[in-house]
Amino acid sequence: MLGWEFPPILTGGLGTACYGLSKALSNYVDLTLIIPRAEKSLTLDGVKILGLNYLGLEEELAYEEPSVSYNTFTDVTYVDANLNPYPMGIMFTQISKPVLKAEDVRNLYNTNESYGPNIMDKVATYAEVVTKIALNKEFDVIHAHDWITYPAAVKLKEATGKPLVLHIHSLETDRVGTHAKHQVNAVYEIEKKGMEAADRLIPVSHFTKSCAMDHYYIPEYKFHPVYNAIDPEPTFRLEKQGDEKIVLFLGRITFQKGPEFMAETAFKLLQRYQNVRFFVAGIGDQLQKLKDTCYAMGIYDKFIFAGFLNKPKVREILAQADVYFMPSVSEPFGLSALEAAQFDIPSVLSIQSGVAEVMNHALKADYWDTDRFANYIYALLNYEGIRNDMIENTEQEIDAMSWDQSAQDVHKVYQTCV
Amino acid sequence: MTSICLYFQIHQPIRLKNYTFFQIGYDHQYDDVQLNYQILNKVADRCYLPVNALLLEMIKKHKGKFKVAFSISGVALEQFVQYRPEVITSIRRLVDTGCVEILSETYYHSLASVYSPEEFTKQVKKHRDTIKYLFDIEPTTFRNTELIYSDAVAQQVADMGYYDTILAEGAPQLIENDDASFVFKAGETDLHLLLRHYKLSDDIAFRFPDQSWEHYPLTPEKFAKWVHTLDGKADTINLFMDYETFGEHKGAETGILEFLRNMPEAVLDNENFSFLTPAETVKAYKAKQQLDVPSEITWADAERDLSGWNHNHMQKDALKKLYGLEALVKESKSREFADIFGRLQTSDHLYYMSTKYWNDGVRQTFSPYKSPYDAYIIYMNALSDFEQLVKSTL
Repeated sequence: MLGWEFPPILTGGLGTACYGLSKALSNYVDLTLIIPRAEKSLTLDGVKILGLNYLGLEEELAYEEPSVSYNTFTDVTYVDANLNPYPMGIMFTQISKPVLKAEDVRNLYNTNESYGPNIMDKVATYAEVVTKIALNKEFDVIHAHDWITYPAAVKLKEATGKPLVLHIHSLETDRVGTHAKHQVNAVYEIEKKGMEAADRLIPVSHFTKSCAMDHYYIPEYKFHPVYNAIDPEPTFRLEKQGDEKIVLFLGRITFQKGPEFMAETAFKLLQRYQNVRFFVAGIGDQLQKLKDTCYAMGIYDKFIFAGFLNKPKVREILAQADVYFMPSVSEPFGLSALEAAQFDIPSVLSIQSGVAEVMNHALKADYWDTDRFANYIYALLNYEGIRNDMIENTEQEIDAMSWDQSAQDVHKVYQTCV
Repeated sequence: MTSICLYFQIHQPIRLKNYTFFQIGYDHQYDDVQLNYQILNKVADRCYLPVNALLLEMIKKHKGKFKVAFSISGVALEQFVQYRPEVITSIRRLVDTGCVEILSETYYHSLASVYSPEEFTKQVKKHRDTIKYLFDIEPTTFRNTELIYSDAVAQQVADMGYYDTILAEGAPQLIENDDASFVFKAGETDLHLLLRHYKLSDDIAFRFPDQSWEHYPLTPEKFAKWVHTLDGKADTINLFMDYETFGEHKGAETGILEFLRNMPEAVLDNENFSFLTPAETVKAYKAKQQLDVPSEITWADAERDLSGWNHNHMQKDALKKLYGLEALVKESKSREFADIFGRLQTSDHLYYMSTKYWNDGVRQTFSPYKSPYDAYIIYMNALSDFEQLVKSTL
C-alpha cells in the first residue's frame, strides 16, 4: 500500500483515513505500507511500515532501474497555484528530476511539511524509490491513496503487471473546482492517468464516484465506493463561558469548504437570532477573504477565527460546540463530521459531501442554499427536541460504523481483481 | 345471526407549508394551500367520488341489505366544501339512502382526548355542529382520532351525553381477535363498545395487494369464506379502515374496487349474515361483558399505542409547546386563534415527526416533508409565530 500522510503529522482527513483503514485491513491481508515519512515511534500491529525518511536506502536502491520511467507524468512542467491539496499556499512549482541518492531522499522527506513548494520533487522521487523497493518484494495488489502516490502506483503496475487499486480521498476538481479539467493542471492529469490505468477505483463516497465519472470520464465499472469510518473514542463536554451558542466550522478555509456560504448563512441567521457565535478553526487561502466578507457584512464580531488548531485544541472546542456546520462545495467524505458526531454535536451538512450519505440523521441542504442552512441552524439552537433525537439517532449510526467494515469492503475489492 | 359492521374513516389534514424562521413574526398563514388543494383533488378523483358512486350503486342493488358508516374529520369536510363540494353532495346522497351512518369525532382529528379534556369537548361539539349543518344528522356513535381509546376516554365521551356507542381497536394485548366480535360495555360507562376485527380489516386495508402474501389474490369469495367460518361464533364482525384504502392507498389497478363491489354479495350468500351500521349493531345484540381498558390503545402500528405520535423527543417537545398555548388562546377569546390552535392540533403534524420507522416506505409516502426533522422544524417555527401572535394581542 502506498500512502502519503500518516500520523502523527496530518493536514486533513487523508492521513486519518489511511491509518484507520490500514490498521483494520491488516487483519485480512499481509500489508506493507510505504510512506514518505514515518515516525520510528509509530508502529502498527500487522502492518509493515516503510518510511523513506529513515530506511537504509542504499540496499533498497541497488536494483535495476525499471524500463518504464516517470516521464509519462512530466508532460506538464508548471502546475497551478492551487495544486496543494492541504494548507500552505504555494505558487508555481517546477517539477524536477527525482533525487536518488539515499541521503538526499532521506533529507527530502525528513520534514514536517508533507507537501510544500517542492511537492513535485517529492512525488517524482517517491515514484522512483517506491518502485525500486517494491520490485524486491512479494505482493499481489498495489493500493495507492490520492494523487501524490498515483505516479508511483502506476509505475509499479507497469513494471510488475500487478492489479492496481486506487483509493480516492479527494480530487483536484474538489479542491480547486471543476474548472481544473479545462486548464493545464498537472495534478488533474496525474489523477486522470492514474484512474485510467487502474483496475479498480475506491472512492470514499458515491458523491466522489460521480465526480470522478463526470469530470475525469472514467467508466462506472471500475468504481467500488467504500465509506470511511470512525473508531470509538471517549469524548467529553466542557461548560462554556456565557450562554452564547457556538456554531463550529472546522477545516481548511479554501474554496472547496464553502467559507463564503458560511458567511452568508451567518448573516441570514443573525438577522433574526443574535445569541450565537461562529467559531472558525482552520487556515487557508480564502481566510482573508472570509474575514473581509464578514467585516463588510457587519458580522465580524460574531466570528472567532482561531487559526489552525492541533488535535487537543480541536477536541476542546468540539466539547463546547452546539452545531457542527460543513457547507462544503465538494466534499469527498468529511471525516470531521463523524468526529463532531462523537462529541454529540448535531450536524448541518451540504448535500455535496460524502459523509451526508452515511449520516441519515444530519440536516442537509445544497451548499448554496443558505436560507435552508440558516433555518436548520436556527432550529438546532432554539428547539430542544430535534437536538436530542438527532444526537440519539446519530449515536446509533456511529456505533454501527467501524474501520473493520471498511477494510472488509476493501478486501472484497481486492478479491475481484487478483 | 352474524352481522358485518363496516366503518370507513375519511380524513385529510391541512398540511403546513415550508414555514421558515425568517417568517416568524411576519407571516401568520401556515397552510400549504396549493399542496392541500392538489392532494384533495387527487384523492377526490381517485377515491372519494368514484367510491361514493360505487357504494351508492351497491346500496341500491342490495335494497337495504348493504350498509356502511363513515367518520369524516372536520378538516377534511372543510376542504371538501372549499375545493370539491361535489364530494359533500355525494355523501349526502349516500346518507339519504338511510343505509349510511355518520359518526362523530374531533373536528381537527386531534389528540385532545389525551392532552386536554376541555379542548376535546370543544372540538367534538364543533364537529357535531358541522355534521348537523352539512348532513342534518346528530350522531350517536363516537370514534376517536386513530381509535384512541381508554376507560378515561370512554368516560369523557359518556359525560358529553350525546352517545350510546364508541369504537375501538380489538387490540391483541386486550383481547383475542375472534373474541372481539361482540358488543361490549365500555368500562363503567353506559356506552356500548365495538372492537375492530384487525385481522379481517387489515386483510383488506393492508395485505390485499401484497403479492408475497400467501392468500394473494384475495377474492370476495375467499374473504366471504373466512367471514362465514365465524357463523354462530360471532355477533358482529367489525371491519374498520381508512376510506382512502379504496383507490388511493391501493390504486384501482390492484382490483380493490372490484373486490369492494363484489364482497357484500359473497358475504350475503350465506343468509345467516347481514350488514348493520354501528347504531343498529348495538341495538341488535346484548353487551357480552364489560371491558376495562386502563391505558390507551389505538389502531396504529404493531404496538397499537400512541407511540407514532408522542414517542420521540421532537414529538414530546412539540406537544408540550402546543398544549402550553391552550391557556393563552383561551385568554385571547379569539375564535380565529381557537381555530388556528385547533388546526395545529391535527395529529398528522405529529405523525410526520415520527422516527419510529425511519426507513419505512409507507410512512414516508404519507409525509409531505423530506424528513421527520423538516416536519418538526416547520411545525415549531409555525407554532413560535402563533405564540408570538397570540401574546401580542393580550
